[in-house]
Amino acid sequence: MKFFSKERPEIPIVNHLKADGTEWTIKEKLWLGLSLGEYKKQFLRNPVNWLMIAIFAVGIPLLLQRYIYGLGAVTHASNDYPWGLFLGFGLFGMVPLSASGFMLGTTVELFGRKDFHPIERLALLNGLLGYFFAVLFLEVDLGMPWRLPYPMFVSLGPAAVLFLVAWHVATYLSVQIAEVLPAFFEWIGWLKGKRVIRKMVLGLTIAGIILSTLHQGALGALFTYAPSKVHPLWLSVNFQWIHFFCSSIFAGLSMVIISSTLIRNFMAWRCDDEFKDNLDYITIGLAKGCSYAMITYLIIKIVAIAHDQEWSYLLTGWGSYYMLELGVAVVLPMFMFAIGIRHRYVGLIRFAALIAALGIIWNRLNTSMICYNWQMYQEIPHWKEVWITITVYSLYFLTYRFIVYRLPIVYGWKGEK
Amino acid sequence: MKKIVSRRNFIKGGLAGTATVAVMKSKETQAAHSFEGYPDGMGVLVDLTRCVGCRSCEAACNKEQGLPTPAKPFDDYSVFQEIKHGEKRRTDETAYTVVNQYDIPELDHPLFRKIQCNHCQEPACLTSCFVNAYTKTPEGAVIYNSKVCVGCRTCMIACPFYIPTFKYSSAFNPRIMKCIFCYDTRLKDGKPPACVEACPQEALTFGKRNDLITMGRQRIRETPGKYVEHIYGEKEVGGTAWMYLSSVPFDQVGFDTHVPQEPILNSVKDFLAIVPMVLTIWPGLFAGFHLLATRKEKIKEQEMEKKEEKA
Amino acid sequence: MQTRKKIMQTALAIAFGGVLMVPTQIWSMEAEDAPESVIIDSLANLYTGVEFNHAMHVEYASCQECHHHTTGGAVVNPNCARCHSNSGEADEVTCTGCHEKDRFNKTYLRTLEAPELYHIDKPGLKGAYHLNCISCHETTSGPTGCQDCHTMTLAGEKMFDTGSHTPAKGHSAPGH
Repeated sequence: MKFFSKERPEIPIVNHLKADGTEWTIKEKLWLGLSLGEYKKQFLRNPVNWLMIAIFAVGIPLLLQRYIYGLGAVTHASNDYPWGLFLGFGLFGMVPLSASGFMLGTTVELFGRKDFHPIERLALLNGLLGYFFAVLFLEVDLGMPWRLPYPMFVSLGPAAVLFLVAWHVATYLSVQIAEVLPAFFEWIGWLKGKRVIRKMVLGLTIAGIILSTLHQGALGALFTYAPSKVHPLWLSVNFQWIHFFCSSIFAGLSMVIISSTLIRNFMAWRCDDEFKDNLDYITIGLAKGCSYAMITYLIIKIVAIAHDQEWSYLLTGWGSYYMLELGVAVVLPMFMFAIGIRHRYVGLIRFAALIAALGIIWNRLNTSMICYNWQMYQEIPHWKEVWITITVYSLYFLTYRFIVYRLPIVYGWKGEK
Repeated sequence: MKKIVSRRNFIKGGLAGTATVAVMKSKETQAAHSFEGYPDGMGVLVDLTRCVGCRSCEAACNKEQGLPTPAKPFDDYSVFQEIKHGEKRRTDETAYTVVNQYDIPELDHPLFRKIQCNHCQEPACLTSCFVNAYTKTPEGAVIYNSKVCVGCRTCMIACPFYIPTFKYSSAFNPRIMKCIFCYDTRLKDGKPPACVEACPQEALTFGKRNDLITMGRQRIRETPGKYVEHIYGEKEVGGTAWMYLSSVPFDQVGFDTHVPQEPILNSVKDFLAIVPMVLTIWPGLFAGFHLLATRKEKIKEQEMEKKEEKA
Repeated sequence: MQTRKKIMQTALAIAFGGVLMVPTQIWSMEAEDAPESVIIDSLANLYTGVEFNHAMHVEYASCQECHHHTTGGAVVNPNCARCHSNSGEADEVTCTGCHEKDRFNKTYLRTLEAPELYHIDKPGLKGAYHLNCISCHETTSGPTGCQDCHTMTLAGEKMFDTGSHTPAKGHSAPGH
């Protein structure tokens, strides 16, 4: 991706003004300052885009099938396993991986750790997009997606945990939009809007903590509705919400590490020096946060087993699987983080973050699908369900990339701000 | 009913952020431990020793509820051999009730068990629904309103008996499909559901839930050795309107004997209780953290200003 | 206590006597008095009525096995004997006389709430027939299938989606 700087020194766009002093139009900004031909050329040169095209070529017809013929046409239509990959991965997996927004917001704005500032916007964007796409996954899964606003405005069931999730995700989504808006305002050059948001930052951040604590926990609490269905090792009636909340902390931080690593390696042209120079330092800082959250998580996981007197389950096959999950998805990355922090092995930290993030998805799939109905048969998702999940996730990837290409997320806007 | 209302209000209050109300009411929460159900709620006592597996109840239900024509006639008993994923037949979008056969080694004849919605006293589907699509009527039925349902299927997760099913086959008009105790066509006029009326063996006895418990106990007491000394559903998940008597331990006839003995909602309470706390404590706590964390900077700023003034 | 025991013994003796020497028991009904056959069709709808050969069944069972205490014969079931060991012949011996045709109607259910009532669990008419017939048929290898006793009517075929109403290609739920 070195082409940006070779032929055209004025791009990538970091300023309202071109080299000749005229202003970039929004349209030009959208095309990254490239002509249509140039844009096409760079698009087709990227092998990732070809993979995306292949995924969408099959995925979009499948999505149409789902909306025309119903969920039964693309899933196994199971009454025993009402929730499949769309929620197991899309909601329960995406939401903890998007806890980064409130984590970094709190660190920078609330605790005044300005040294994490270069990554704050990436973390906020990561949070916003994760939530947005979790809702999108929900829209694929809901039987009547057009009734999404019902729990808000039409028929309220306030005593239900899902009611809390719905309201908090909705309000938190608004909070996150507000938090990411300054980057957008800088880019389009509307500074008044940015100043308004700036005044609200502390309030938004605190709202973010409250909403995140509650809905990350609420996603866990949803499973306490099924005390006789989820395997006891994966369900602690008393601690489930803490498990989900605590694991979302390192999940979100790990996701920012992964995302920043990808951007640093494949979008170096878009990063400014502040981002590039500080990234290793920040990554180590994030890793510290991860390792603390992980040891806490590990302890409450064990406390939960002790509390429910479930030691004997550990000796069963499910117990081995449980220990495998804890070992590979928590203990291993935790030690990798620790070693990485001590010896400043940033590469090791990045690898650990990948394991931790995949580990969280694994844990959520275990809770919602694999160890759900543990005394029954195992539901294996329909291939169409898998493909649609990949398709929506690819859309997430493209949106993420689209925004990072353009808005001042990993670079500072040079124009007035 | 008062009790449950106050508890739900407590949660509502917490969510709305009216903290003081919430904290005050939380005391009531402790006191209001369980909802005993409507005193005059109706129920059905199913006596497994009487059922002969004729499937009349299935046929009657199918007609009463206008469900689709089945693949096999209702007098075709080969359905008892059907196994899917190692499981016997279950309710689905075409059947609100099914009868399954259980071969018991100690008995010279099989036992049959009818499943349908048990119409819990404090239903998990109802308490888990975020659009209030479910209602427990004073007559004892747990009914469903498809007009507000969003199709999230949490009720299917929450139901400890795997009863609600989803009309997956429909893209534009899907809904939850489940036994409603023939509420609109019969129960609300005091009539028994279609399945009860169809049962030739009176394996299904309709009556006030309280009276049925007395009756069940009488059957157990007066025919020693005939029944296991337990009425399934009297205490399970806080009590159900449909209850069962069996001659063999309930786990041998497909019942989940590990369901909690209290309403499913009780296991969710731990979390619900923290909601008002987080809502009220977090803002102050984190604003305080913010002041503490940024104090040094503020002091530095002030010192800088003073220096500037001096200079 | 002594006297009670004596009464019990006498009762038992009389009871046995009742079976062995029917004519001597004046207060008990006699099998010969019973109708040859009874048409049971008051509930017939999905199935045709049953022509019940009473005379033939008398050979298989004592009166009280079906008629409980109403025929005046001695009661074997200890639960019944608590009250009916001596209650003699009842005015009404037919099934319909005691067993409610509409067992679950509101008014009847209300009568069951009387606090002193013992018979809170009396089967309705349909239940009484089937419980009594089938349980005995099972032990005596009598017919137990539905259509062994009564054939299905057209209404029944419609209800059960069978016979002339057998589904050409019925629905089964997709998935599992």
